Amino acid sequence: MKKLINDPQDFVAEMLKGTALANPGSLRYVPEFNLIMRVDAPREDKVSVIQGSGSGHEPAHVMFVGRGMLDGACPGDVFSAPPVDYVVGTTKMLNSPMGVLYLVNNYTGDGMAFEMAAEIVEAEGIRVATVVIDDDVAVKDSTYTIGRRGVAGNFFVIKAVGAAAELSASLDDLVLLGNRVNSVTRTMGMALTSCTPPAKGSPLFELGQSEMEMGVGIHGEPGRSREPLGSANEIIDALVEAVVADLPYRRGDQVALMINGLGATPVSELYLAYGRAHEQLVARGIDVARSYVGEYCTSLDMAGCSVTLVRLDDGLVDYLAAPADVAVRIF
Amino acid sequence: MTATLGDVAFVIGSMARTAVDNEGLFGELDAVVGDGDFGYSMARGFEAVLAGWSELDRASIGGFLKGVATTVMGRMGGTSGPIWGTALLRAGTVAGNESELECAEVLAMLWAAIEGIRQRGKSDVGDKTLLDALVPAVNALEGELLNGGAAADALSRAAVVASEAAEATRPMVAKRGRASYAGDRSVGTLDPGAAAVARMFQDIAASWSEHVGRSDSEAHT
Repeated sequence: MKKLINDPQDFVAEMLKGTALANPGSLRYVPEFNLIMRVDAPREDKVSVIQGSGSGHEPAHVMFVGRGMLDGACPGDVFSAPPVDYVVGTTKMLNSPMGVLYLVNNYTGDGMAFEMAAEIVEAEGIRVATVVIDDDVAVKDSTYTIGRRGVAGNFFVIKAVGAAAELSASLDDLVLLGNRVNSVTRTMGMALTSCTPPAKGSPLFELGQSEMEMGVGIHGEPGRSREPLGSANEIIDALVEAVVADLPYRRGDQVALMINGLGATPVSELYLAYGRAHEQLVARGIDVARSYVGEYCTSLDMAGCSVTLVRLDDGLVDYLAAPADVAVRIF
Repeated sequence: MTATLGDVAFVIGSMARTAVDNEGLFGELDAVVGDGDFGYSMARGFEAVLAGWSELDRASIGGFLKGVATTVMGRMGGTSGPIWGTALLRAGTVAGNESELECAEVLAMLWAAIEGIRQRGKSDVGDKTLLDALVPAVNALEGELLNGGAAADALSRAAVVASEAAEATRPMVAKRGRASYAGDRSVGTLDPGAAAVARMFQDIAASWSEHVGRSDSEAHT
């Protein structure tokens, strides 16, 4: 393992400290709960929107904390849902009279941590509601599993809900909006390489030089199939086909298109992928109205990408276009 | 057979050491179909229990178990924190303010923990989870104890059953947790949670007579 780390056990804490030091005017780090929060939260005139999830997906979600997006994020260890206490502590620190909204990616651990935390804080009179995000089409949504995973599409739920919360939308309205965005968002990813969690010190799974994993999860979980490595066009066409067919997105639909890097894919390759995906959608009569290219939800040092589509309507476009001020910036 | 606070503390301490000592093994098992965080989560949570060992409430068995649960939920993330936290809390609730439990109370405590795991995980035997080792093991323990068997024999029997049951998770298809995404590809792998439960029963059974001997000599001094 060759990484820019010290003691693997300090990896998350040192990353969070750096995030706060890089944004002294807007972010605050609370080590006790792995919490990155807005310095001005909680506010009486807005619902506090919080995320948990595991670490290792940066910029998701600690670097999405800021005006117009999240009020706080309390990640667990790498690829591990936060302990219940982190969520309880974060909820109490961000408790607003308008309520607290949990945005939870659909994983067993996250679901249980937020469910237990909700039981505990509700007993103390705090009003909470939950939106579960499950945009990954690679996993069948069946009663025999816990259902589809939450992956890169969570960005759109955070962005829309964050913008509406900034305009003082009620907790109930935010739940409706979050569920609406989730219902029109679909993602599928693929891995060219495995990834190495610092505490493990070796790749999470083996992927041969001439193999790829289609439908991979953002923790390296298996996807739909392991296949011989294809060309960029073949890979992107397969991802676009899987995503488009799932909702399905139809001729005349207006969409947002996101090409998300999984951590070790050059920006050049992401734009190459974007170009192909864009053309494929146009050829299907689907109008790409908003474009997103870069790293939004990564899997440590995994090479690969995911394709996300969101079916837009006028209200949703306004929320996505609304200003936000988060740690991720290049200006 | 009765169980004292010392007996309960011995079992918890043994479980904690098993979790800490097997971090690598449990992580490797999880990496096959999960995401490899199981060993790390278990080790960090139970490491915290051992670190705060002397400060745990020892006024009653219920208080002790709730203290352990609180520590676990404060540090253990992933699926493991809520699962083990809920199990320990439910067990503590049944044990209540007692400092010594009758056989039936010990069994009620274990079944309450299992029911907590079922509810929290929305899972049951057959889903390829820790319940697939835990439920048969507690059934075996109960059978031995209700037949008048000694605790040492009952634990040995439970350890054997747990190990067999953990091994029997190999052909199962995972239906809960991240392993469930692997679907048919989860077939052929040992469930890490079931393997951890089996290892815990093995370690408790292996050192139980030593613990009883030590307790007896303490009682006589």
